[in-house]
Amino acid sequence: MSETAAKKNGFQRLFAKRGMGQVITVFFGLIALCLVFYFINPNFLSERNIQNLLRQIAPYLIISIGQGYVLITGNIDLSIGSVIGMSAMISATLMTAGVDPWLATIITIIPCVATGLLNGFLIATCRLPPFIGTLGTMTIARGVAQLVNGNMNTDAIGTTAEGWRSFFYYGKTISVFNTFWIALALWAAFNFLLSRTRTGRHIYAVGSNAEAAKLSGVSVASKTTIAYTVSAFCACVVGLIVCAQAGMGAMDAGTGYEMYAVAASVIGGISTLGGQGILLGNIVGASVWGAMYNGLSLVGAPVAWRNIVVGIIVVLSVLIDVILRGNSMIRLRIRAGARKKI
Amino acid sequence: MCPHLTVAENMFLGREMVKGGRLSTKEMNAETGKVLADMHVEIAPTAIVETLSLSKRQMVEIAKAVSTDARVIIMDEPTSSLTGREIDELFNIIRQLRDEGRGIVYISHRLEELHHIVDRVTILRDGQFVASMPWADTSLPQIISLMVGRDVKEKFPHVQADKGEKIFEVRNLNAGRLVRDVSFSAHEGEIAGIAGLVGAGRTETTRAIFGVEKKESGQFFLEGKEIFINKPMDAIRQGVVLVPEDRKKDGLCVKLSVKSNVELPNLDFLATTLGVVDTKKVARVTDKSIKDLSIRLPNADVDAISLSGGNQQKVVVAKWLARQSRVVIFDEPTRGIDVAAKVEIYNLMNHLKLQGVGVIFVSSEMPEIMGMADLIYVMCDGRVTGSMQREDATQEKIMELATQFERKLGNAINA
Repeated sequence: MSETAAKKNGFQRLFAKRGMGQVITVFFGLIALCLVFYFINPNFLSERNIQNLLRQIAPYLIISIGQGYVLITGNIDLSIGSVIGMSAMISATLMTAGVDPWLATIITIIPCVATGLLNGFLIATCRLPPFIGTLGTMTIARGVAQLVNGNMNTDAIGTTAEGWRSFFYYGKTISVFNTFWIALALWAAFNFLLSRTRTGRHIYAVGSNAEAAKLSGVSVASKTTIAYTVSAFCACVVGLIVCAQAGMGAMDAGTGYEMYAVAASVIGGISTLGGQGILLGNIVGASVWGAMYNGLSLVGAPVAWRNIVVGIIVVLSVLIDVILRGNSMIRLRIRAGARKKI
Repeated sequence: MCPHLTVAENMFLGREMVKGGRLSTKEMNAETGKVLADMHVEIAPTAIVETLSLSKRQMVEIAKAVSTDARVIIMDEPTSSLTGREIDELFNIIRQLRDEGRGIVYISHRLEELHHIVDRVTILRDGQFVASMPWADTSLPQIISLMVGRDVKEKFPHVQADKGEKIFEVRNLNAGRLVRDVSFSAHEGEIAGIAGLVGAGRTETTRAIFGVEKKESGQFFLEGKEIFINKPMDAIRQGVVLVPEDRKKDGLCVKLSVKSNVELPNLDFLATTLGVVDTKKVARVTDKSIKDLSIRLPNADVDAISLSGGNQQKVVVAKWLARQSRVVIFDEPTRGIDVAAKVEIYNLMNHLKLQGVGVIFVSSEMPEIMGMADLIYVMCDGRVTGSMQREDATQEKIMELATQFERKLGNAINA
């Protein structure tokens, strides 16, 4: 067996690595996509636009890390869009009330993480279906976002927060926007947790076969709760970024982000069926997503069309995932057809 | 049956009476009532099935068969969840159906209840027809001997070892209907076999020991000291491990790599105190167990599902051999694997036995249990009905204990 391994060249070995195949395939798709936009509008690959693109990708990447964790445990988190809204509104409300921005940041993290813990409790301990459970917390979190400032968007967060806004959105480090670096740092940390630690291995096992994981001594409930907490934390950070960008808190911030997060994860190769995929895919998936949004607006596609195209991509990527890995009727038919031919 | 629908709705499920696009509820209720009355069963057609007792539900099931004018009705272990009085009721109905001229195929493990209703008996073994004769011409001992067959010619690689200290003991374990007051023990240098028919409660017992199912009462002793197991992790930490019956459902994360599967329960010593996995150590441990168990695979990164059944089973075993386990429970370890792999599993059990590990071996295949185990416990209906030494074991004895259901039959039958 070592002989065949030795015969493979570096690229083949990389391809053979678990989950790598789809990441590389989608990476080439990303390049093709960029080229198409470039030919339609050369500005797409201008330095300025690439700068913007990197900053645009960042929130998608962050939010998809959390959703990726949850998807790998075999669940889904619909509440993250609302957690973004909650995070933006709570932090902005505190700052307009004169609280120090960094203190406000720390205070904001608490209710957001609590939402993640609540999700974990409902889904893992009380065994609610994840769709219904997180649909409920989604509505609750949105309600909290509306409540904190008396059902109004906040005023501008003021000049004392300039440094804070620059940290999260406007400033640059090594000539790239900070937002991108924040995303990369979070990715590195959570990728390490998922791929190199005991907790990470347990999360994969729970998503692959919860029963077998349990019989191997894994605490299914606590690992699922960790995934939901990571998800809520990531949403919280995105909420802070959104707030820094707008310079105020908007009650509807983050609407629809749960879908973007699923899309970026699934395009990058994380299966909605659980247990499969790697976080490296999220970088590529979020890039495809960001390039699509940015490119479509750059070539002048109206917002309505953008939504339609983007929605189709989500459905297609999940469909491909389910056909390749699940037990959809289509797959069974294809198999039956293949058997008949033989 | 659909538990949330009424009796009548269940009776007519898929063949509802319709008039002009509307359901004829009244007619269906009336028809249902008539069928039930013919059977002398008192159940309201409008009752929700969920609210009925198990026996009443069974009656509805039978009524459903009758209402389609079935000529032949097949009943598969119909009494398994019924109480004595309910069994009486069922038997009365069966006799009534017989007298109406219908044929009834009654499948059962409970030999003692057969003489109440059976006219002709057919014996199957391992999917093959063995014999068929009128009930009057046969006897229970004859049926048992036909059930077990006489061809125990297979060779099993049994090794003799000196019986040592008691390693593991289960005392008065209770967990649900199928684990009732179970006690047994495993000694050094000995394989403790647990025989019984399907549904005897052996798997439930192993799961209760391993902490998967909640136990109501009972004690475990490891090397004389009482240990407490409330979840699988407790058992694993103390060296009591389970190779589960259904390896795809309970044993393996089939879509993860072999390496991931082997490392999963052992991350407590394969990761640093901060929880970072030591990949080199994992590779070393995995490679060693692959070699020790001669698991055949291209490399340890392939999906577990891509292996043959025998190799999959060995991966499940490898999970537990990577750590120092004191007691290994094998639940049907040779199911669905080829003969060569079976022998490898037997040799592995012998190897563990010689090393002084407690081996508990659950199997439904009698020749296998008789060939490999040193002490054989037999379970039936959630209880340990007896035990015997290897030398004293015969298939007849085991079968007799394995069909020893608690007497549930009431008086109506004897009348």
